[in-house]
Amino acid sequence: MSRLGMLLQIAWRNLLASPINLIIGGLILAGTLLFVVVGGLLDSLNDSMARSVIGSVAGHIQIYSSKSKDELSLFGGMGGDPELAAVTEFPRIKEAVEGLENVKEVVPMGSSGALITAGNIVDVTLEKLRNLIKARAGSADDPRLARLTPEALDARISATRRHVRQIIRVLEADQKKALAILKDQAIDPDVVASLEKVSQDAFWDDFDQDPWGSLEFLENKIAPQVTDAQLMFLRYLGTDLDQFQQSFDRMQVIDGTPVPKGQRGFLIAKLFYEDQMKLKNARRLDKLRDATANGRLIASDDELKRFVKENRTQTRDIVLQLDDLKTAEATTKLQAFLKSTDPDLTALLSTFFDTTDENLEARAAFFYAELAPMIELYKVRIGDTLTIKAFTRGGAIQAVNVKVYGTFSFTGLEKSPLAGNTSLMDLMSFRDLYGYLTVDKAEEIKRLQQDTGAQTVTRANAEDELFGEGATIVAEATAGIIDEDKTFTGVGRRLREDDLVKRVYTDSEINSGVVLNAAVMVKDPSQLTATIEAINRLSEEKNLSIKAVSWQQASGILGQIITFFRGVLILAVLFIFGIAMVIINNAMMMATLQRTQTIGTMRAIGAQRSLVLTMVLTESVVLGVLFGGVGILLGTGVMAWLHQRGIPAPNDVAYFFFSGPRLLPDVSSGNLAIALVIILAVTLFSTLFPALIATRISPLRAMQADE
Amino acid sequence: MRSFFLAVITLLALAAARPALAMDKSELLKLLNEIDDRQRNGGDYKALLYLEQKEKDKADVVREMVVYRRDADDKLMLLFAKPKSEEGKGVLRLDKNLWTYDPGTGKWDRTTERERIGGTNTRRSDFDESRLADEFDPSFVGEEKLGKFETLVLDLKVKPGIDVAYPVLKLWIDKATHNILKRQEFALSGKLARTSYYPKWQKLFSESKKAELWFPGEIRIFDEIEKSNSTLVLFKTVDLQSLDQNMFTKAWLESKSR
Repeated sequence: MSRLGMLLQIAWRNLLASPINLIIGGLILAGTLLFVVVGGLLDSLNDSMARSVIGSVAGHIQIYSSKSKDELSLFGGMGGDPELAAVTEFPRIKEAVEGLENVKEVVPMGSSGALITAGNIVDVTLEKLRNLIKARAGSADDPRLARLTPEALDARISATRRHVRQIIRVLEADQKKALAILKDQAIDPDVVASLEKVSQDAFWDDFDQDPWGSLEFLENKIAPQVTDAQLMFLRYLGTDLDQFQQSFDRMQVIDGTPVPKGQRGFLIAKLFYEDQMKLKNARRLDKLRDATANGRLIASDDELKRFVKENRTQTRDIVLQLDDLKTAEATTKLQAFLKSTDPDLTALLSTFFDTTDENLEARAAFFYAELAPMIELYKVRIGDTLTIKAFTRGGAIQAVNVKVYGTFSFTGLEKSPLAGNTSLMDLMSFRDLYGYLTVDKAEEIKRLQQDTGAQTVTRANAEDELFGEGATIVAEATAGIIDEDKTFTGVGRRLREDDLVKRVYTDSEINSGVVLNAAVMVKDPSQLTATIEAINRLSEEKNLSIKAVSWQQASGILGQIITFFRGVLILAVLFIFGIAMVIINNAMMMATLQRTQTIGTMRAIGAQRSLVLTMVLTESVVLGVLFGGVGILLGTGVMAWLHQRGIPAPNDVAYFFFSGPRLLPDVSSGNLAIALVIILAVTLFSTLFPALIATRISPLRAMQADE
Repeated sequence: MRSFFLAVITLLALAAARPALAMDKSELLKLLNEIDDRQRNGGDYKALLYLEQKEKDKADVVREMVVYRRDADDKLMLLFAKPKSEEGKGVLRLDKNLWTYDPGTGKWDRTTERERIGGTNTRRSDFDESRLADEFDPSFVGEEKLGKFETLVLDLKVKPGIDVAYPVLKLWIDKATHNILKRQEFALSGKLARTSYYPKWQKLFSESKKAELWFPGEIRIFDEIEKSNSTLVLFKTVDLQSLDQNMFTKAWLESKSR
């Protein structure tokens, strides 16, 4: 004990005696500080991203068919969505996996995407008119229209007709402008004549005599003249919505209500709803308000200037939404607000949307209070039925109607495009769109093929087989009779109606069917690896043909980002400590050589080599502990400051990695311990060689050096 | 002198042989008009078709579909009959508009010439009346043997302002019967998209046309982008009775799935 005390005393004295030690200490301090801060930040980022991925879509573990061609990638990969084989025995898998000790529950899933066409404003308005006329004829598809009284229906038909006529007036004005610029020959005379015809009172006076013919004229001759149809790519996750809402507790319904248990329905991701489905002018006003509230200025910000310019020039969506009465009302309101006498609504709107930092708030307030109630702010309203058309696995197009119950977002991830662009759909509708071939359907197709008895011809042999010797190409045929009543029995429609009419599905029905993947929620996340191994073992034992992967692996490239940064950190630390080792080694060599006389004298008065070795190494340990400790303290201080202040997400994408608007980094005791161990190991390793040199100093050489 | 006569005879023989080697524009148009006319019916036309799409690692797509045509008005309607899940889905061409209808959703959607029909590699033009002479400018490529048949090979380029699924075609036309035996379709870039074979041509007498109506009994389409995909179209029945006057309307098509 006294020897250790003596060594520590010597180390302390030497520590302050040589400026070289301060250089070494500085290096140790900087390395430790860097390790603590960057390591802590990466750990915090990892934890935040884990919270985002686990809490928004993946759960702790994902399972999918081991027969899949691609690996599961929840956020899509380089080549689009991975091709996953269908899991057809989900109930058996769910029961088996939920039987494992650490598994809380298994949530069925499947994700896909669809292009939805909103149709141009004329198509949409004419479709509305067609549905109203159908309701008047007693064949409404929409039950809400079927419930309207004849008077109410007539009033709505009349309003919609007025709206169509107003659109025609706008198109006429456009055509006049185009004719002035392009000259007559550039415009199809058929287009001019069609517009001329529908702008006449006679067309509308006779409308009710042949409403279907009149509608088809408008649909085929007028609607194609407007080319503002918008395509939206809708990404959706089909799941047991009830179970999803319970398992992913960060999910919150923002507008509307959750989909009632067991029913078909759709919840639109709030960010997608705002970004893609909201009237563009209104959305840009929102963004301008957000930006200016955060200190940005329209006057000096190019992006905000662009928003203003787009708002000024793109007013057509508003103009085409208004019928004649609403056009007059909007014009009067805008004239009063802008103190203008201009009678042209397009010109007034353009002036109105010329927003500046000074007038933005007043204009946005006026827009929402006075203009917004006259128009549809969203392409799809809560409570509407949304038609989603997607390619099935076989390549055919399949469409379903789903009722939109509301919008949702994940707490903290409201602005994240990664978490905010995937909407939620009930599993039954998802399966319809996925188009999995059930046993019944496969048998029906097999029967059709057998009845037809078509021969297969391969590409390689096609020309020889079809046109070779013995081939005749012309044959006489006899006319047949195709009986529509026998050919179209209405069975398809009845099947769909049976299935779709306000049905409530049981848990067993929801689970019994094809799924593509499933989220496994665990009780103890620290046992993740063991649970994944247990699921994979279980799959082999019970022949479940599934594969379990961690949330990180399931998130594809996204999940690898943290691993990548961690790799970069390790390389950086290795590089810094490598350089530090060389410097410390050299510095210690210099320090040792400076002390040749002292060490020689110590050896002369009886100090053993082991004492010299221990002395030098103790000095290093003291140096490491002291400066490494200061580094750790400083690092912890920096992290505490960052935690208190929070690191704001630089953009919307970072919301996902930060799991919210700010990253609140923490440093773990484990990280601190690792930092200390590494710094001591590096210091000791760098000192080992100088210490061995020191043991070789002989008293004779020390005395000679003195002479 | 003898050699002079020989030279003159040779030149005359070559000159006489020229029309057999190359066809001029009017001859080509005449040929295309003949192909169009023989497939066009004066009155109405209805055919029950079988479609089968084969793709690698996927289950076969099989459909039965009725094609309705009123060639005099350029009207076309396709209505799916089988399998049950597809019954009532349809495609309707009205003027330059191509509409699709799904009775499951009750929605009409405007679509394009490039839209695949019923999840197979077919397009609207595979079932509509032939309009080669109206829609394309032909040029003569040469003569070629296809199996045992002598064929005339033509290149066709779409006329300006006409919307078709493929703007460039190459046709192999049987010299003896003037039926198309092989058809290749290209994108504007020149990339080959489909190769189709027409190994069976059938004819039947049409009362309304007062002449024979020709139709391909079988079309085999090979996808040139996804090489392992192929489509078979079989004409099972052709019915030339008059159709309802209001048949080519949205209301009629909707009524078939009620």
